[in-house]
Parts: sequence; structure tokens; C-alpha cells
Amino acid sequence: MTDAALTLLPEAERRARRRTRLSRASAILVCQIALLAVFLGLWEWATASDRAVAFLFGSPSAIWGFLVQMWRDGSLFRDTYVTGVETILGFVVGNVLGTVLGLSLWYSQFVARIVQPFIVALGSIPIIALAPIMIIWFGTGLISKVAMATLSVVVVALVTAYKGAMSVDPDNVNLFRTLGASKLQIFRRLVIPSALSDIFAGLRMTVGFALIGAIIGEFMSSSEGLGHAIFKAGSLYNIPKVFAALVATIALALFLTWLVGKLERLLTPWKNVG
Amino acid sequence: MTGGAAAPPLRVVGVSKSYEVGDSLARVIRDLTLQLDSGEIVSIVGPSGCGKSTLLNVVSGLLPPTSGEVFWHGRKLAGVPANAGYMLQKDLLLPWRTALGNVVLGLEITGADRTDAQDRAGAMLDRLGLHGFADAYPGTLSGGMRQRVALARTLVTDPEVLLLDEPFASLDFQSKLLIENDTAALVRGERRSVLLITHDVEEAVSMSDRVLVLSQRPTYVIRTYVIDLPGSRTDMMEARKSHGFQDYVRSIWNDLQAPKR
Repeated sequence: MTDAALTLLPEAERRARRRTRLSRASAILVCQIALLAVFLGLWEWATASDRAVAFLFGSPSAIWGFLVQMWRDGSLFRDTYVTGVETILGFVVGNVLGTVLGLSLWYSQFVARIVQPFIVALGSIPIIALAPIMIIWFGTGLISKVAMATLSVVVVALVTAYKGAMSVDPDNVNLFRTLGASKLQIFRRLVIPSALSDIFAGLRMTVGFALIGAIIGEFMSSSEGLGHAIFKAGSLYNIPKVFAALVATIALALFLTWLVGKLERLLTPWKNVG
Repeated sequence: MTGGAAAPPLRVVGVSKSYEVGDSLARVIRDLTLQLDSGEIVSIVGPSGCGKSTLLNVVSGLLPPTSGEVFWHGRKLAGVPANAGYMLQKDLLLPWRTALGNVVLGLEITGADRTDAQDRAGAMLDRLGLHGFADAYPGTLSGGMRQRVALARTLVTDPEVLLLDEPFASLDFQSKLLIENDTAALVRGERRSVLLITHDVEEAVSMSDRVLVLSQRPTYVIRTYVIDLPGSRTDMMEARKSHGFQDYVRSIWNDLQAPKR
């Protein structure tokens, strides 16, 4: 009976269905490209006729020109690389720190209640206000940017990991207890895996936060990186170059988000089924 | 109390349980006494919200009683009993583990040999009609199959006593009857004891050797039925059709309807 429950459709039928799915996906892509093209076209058209408008808003062709120039002189790659390294280091340090602390708060309700107001207080600090201190403590190089990215990430990571750990079904904890599990076994086999989906939601969110932290750090004081490029071009009223660096920033953000999604699919294979 | 071969697997003596709710005391269980003999299936039925699940949690050592005592094999309960299996209405399967991984959990926690544990878990899945589903994640299984995996997880540690809290309540009638049959066969074939908490009077009568009827909160045993039905006692449809079944059901139903005192 169960053998017949799942039968393969005939080859022709399967091919037809795959084609429908594919054509829908490509229709969406075509629409997205069209939307972008219309937007860029209008922008180009609006700035082409008026020099003052072009000065204030840049034009897609001028932005493209700067992207090509930055590509040729190597600064596009170097700045993206620098900001990318700062972001990734801060992202990793902040998430590891926050997740470990957040998960371990599950161990003691007492400690969790004690530290709760302090965490809320730390979380409410606007990160930009810490930038001058970070520069005084860690200098104007890589470390201060990593510190800024870390600070932007750590409290969010802590709170999401703690929330994930606390959302474990108490009946499931009881089940583990009746099976004779120790608290460490419950933590490792139940709490951590249960919290994974919250932790990954936190990771997806904090990619952007880490990037913001790194760029704020570069705004304050730096000699390289995308934030530095944006800041410098901005103070020279070079709007198209600001946009060019912004395009690189967006590309970096998209790449890092894609990387986290890839990691999530790799580490939570049970979510890809059903 | 001393242990010994004659001591029943489970004895609950004069147990009361109250919760503090703000400044007031909510009394859930009042002076409740019951006994579970070896190889016996005992059901507990009661009006909804009467504290059946609290009773199960006290018996399984998850909650301490306010007063009274719980004995396992004649010894006073300290912590969680080692030879009890625990199963709820929720299957509590871990979504990140396959069916086999879920069944093997209890053996893994007690530190059993890995390949041996997996063999036993696989065999238990086969016995419960889940051959070929060992590598399936719970998310891909139906409700009935998931509950079978949970039953396999409960049985694979070879518990002498099963504590079941409405384990089949969320299943459709057909799945429920089939899994009840399998449970009865597995339990009676190996002389395990079962304490089955349920609100399904027909399930209680068809599965059990005795049915205890509980009162409203604070709950205690108001009546005990010794179920004497002809036939094999592992076929729940046959039990439902047998002579006397309906009389038990009607009588228990009347007890449950009785006005609160």
C-alpha cells in the first residue's frame, strides 16, 4: 500500500511541471531586472538634463564610471576587503561571545534575573556613541573597527540566544529528566539544538549590524575601507563616488547574508525536508 | 518499607499536592492512594482539569508531593525512577533527529554502546510497523507515525512501568485503535505495568485491568473498577464489542457526571 502511495509522474508530465516552475521563477527575475532598469533609466534621464541635479544626485552612468575606475586602481577590491574583514571578525567575535553567554544564562535563572537589567541597559546604548572610546582604547586601525562591529552584534546575539534557550518546551525537559539526563546532557542535546533556529535568526539580523558597526568605525577615523571611501567622497562633494562605494557596500552585505543562509542550510538539514 | 520480589512496582500512599498561587493555596490532589501491580494496566480517568497530569508528574518524580509517599518496588522515591517510561499526548520528538535518532535518545543518555543501541532502536521501530522510516525526520511523518516513534522511544529503554498521559488523544480513531492494540500486545507480552491517564472512557475500559475514577479538584480516587472482559485483551475493537463493555463505560460515565461535593 505504502509502495503505491508515492508514484512518479510520467516523464513528459514531470518535464512540463519543471518548465512551469522554471518559467515562473524567470518571470519574477525578468520583472525585477525591468524594475531596476526603469528606476536607473529615470534617474539617468532626470540627471542628464540638469547639471545641478546631476551634482546633487549623481547619475547611474557617473556611478558606473567610478566603479570602473575604482576597479582599475584596485581600491574597490581593497576597500571592500578591508570592510569585509572588519565586519566578519566583529560578526564572529560578537556572535560567539553573545551566543555563549546567552545560552549559558539558561543554566541559572538566578543569574539571568540578576544580569537582565544590565543587558537591557547595554543594549540601549547607541553604538555610535562608543566610537570615540573605541578609538582611544584600540587606535585607528583594524581592532577599533572590529570592536565597533562586535559591540553592534553582541547584545542582540546574547538576547536571541537566551530567548532561544528559554523557549525550550518544559515537557521536553521533563522527558529528558525521566530518561535520566543530567543538566549538561539536557543543555547539549536539547537546549542548544532547540535554540539554533533563534540563533540563526539572530545571525541573519546581525550581519547588517556588524557592517554598520564597521562602517561607523571607519567614519570616525580610518585610512581605508568602504566607510572611509564614502566619508572621503562625501566631504569632497563627490556624490557619484559616494554612491559607487555604497553599491560595493550593498554587494558586500548581500554576499555576507547569502553566506549565513548557506551556513544555516548546512547546519540545520532537518529544515530542508517536508 | 523494604524492597523485595513481592513489592508492587508502584505504590502511591496518601499523596497530596498543593500549589501556592500568590497568597492562596491551590489544592490539586488530596490524600490519594493507588497501587500498580506487576504486569497490570491501570487507567485513571477523571473530569478535565482534575489534576491527572500533576499526579503523573508526582509519580514520576518530576514534582515533589506536598505530603504522602510514592514507592517504586517498595522503595521510597528519590529523584526520577530509573525503570519508568514516560509518554505524553505531545510526541516531544526532536525535529533535528531522525526517527532512529529519537528512539535511541534514552539509550544514548544512559551511555549504552552506540551500535547496540541503534540496533535495538531499529528493531523497536520495525516492531511498531515503521520499517523503512528510521532515517526520516519527524517533520515528514504523520501524527500516528510520530506517536509510534514516541512509543518506540519509550519502550526501547525496556522500562518495567510505563507512565502514559493521554498518549493517543490527538490521533484519529483508526490510528488510535491500531496503536492501542500494538501497545497492549507489547506491554502484555512482556509483563510490563502501565499507568494510563486518559479522558477517553472507552480507551480506559478496553485497555485496562482496572480503572480508577478520580474526583474533581482536589482529586482522590472515588471508585475503582476491575475490568473483566472476555477475549485476548489486545484487540480493542473486540473489547468494545464484548459483553459488559458498555456497562462499564456507562457506569464510569455516570461517576464522572456526578455532582461536585
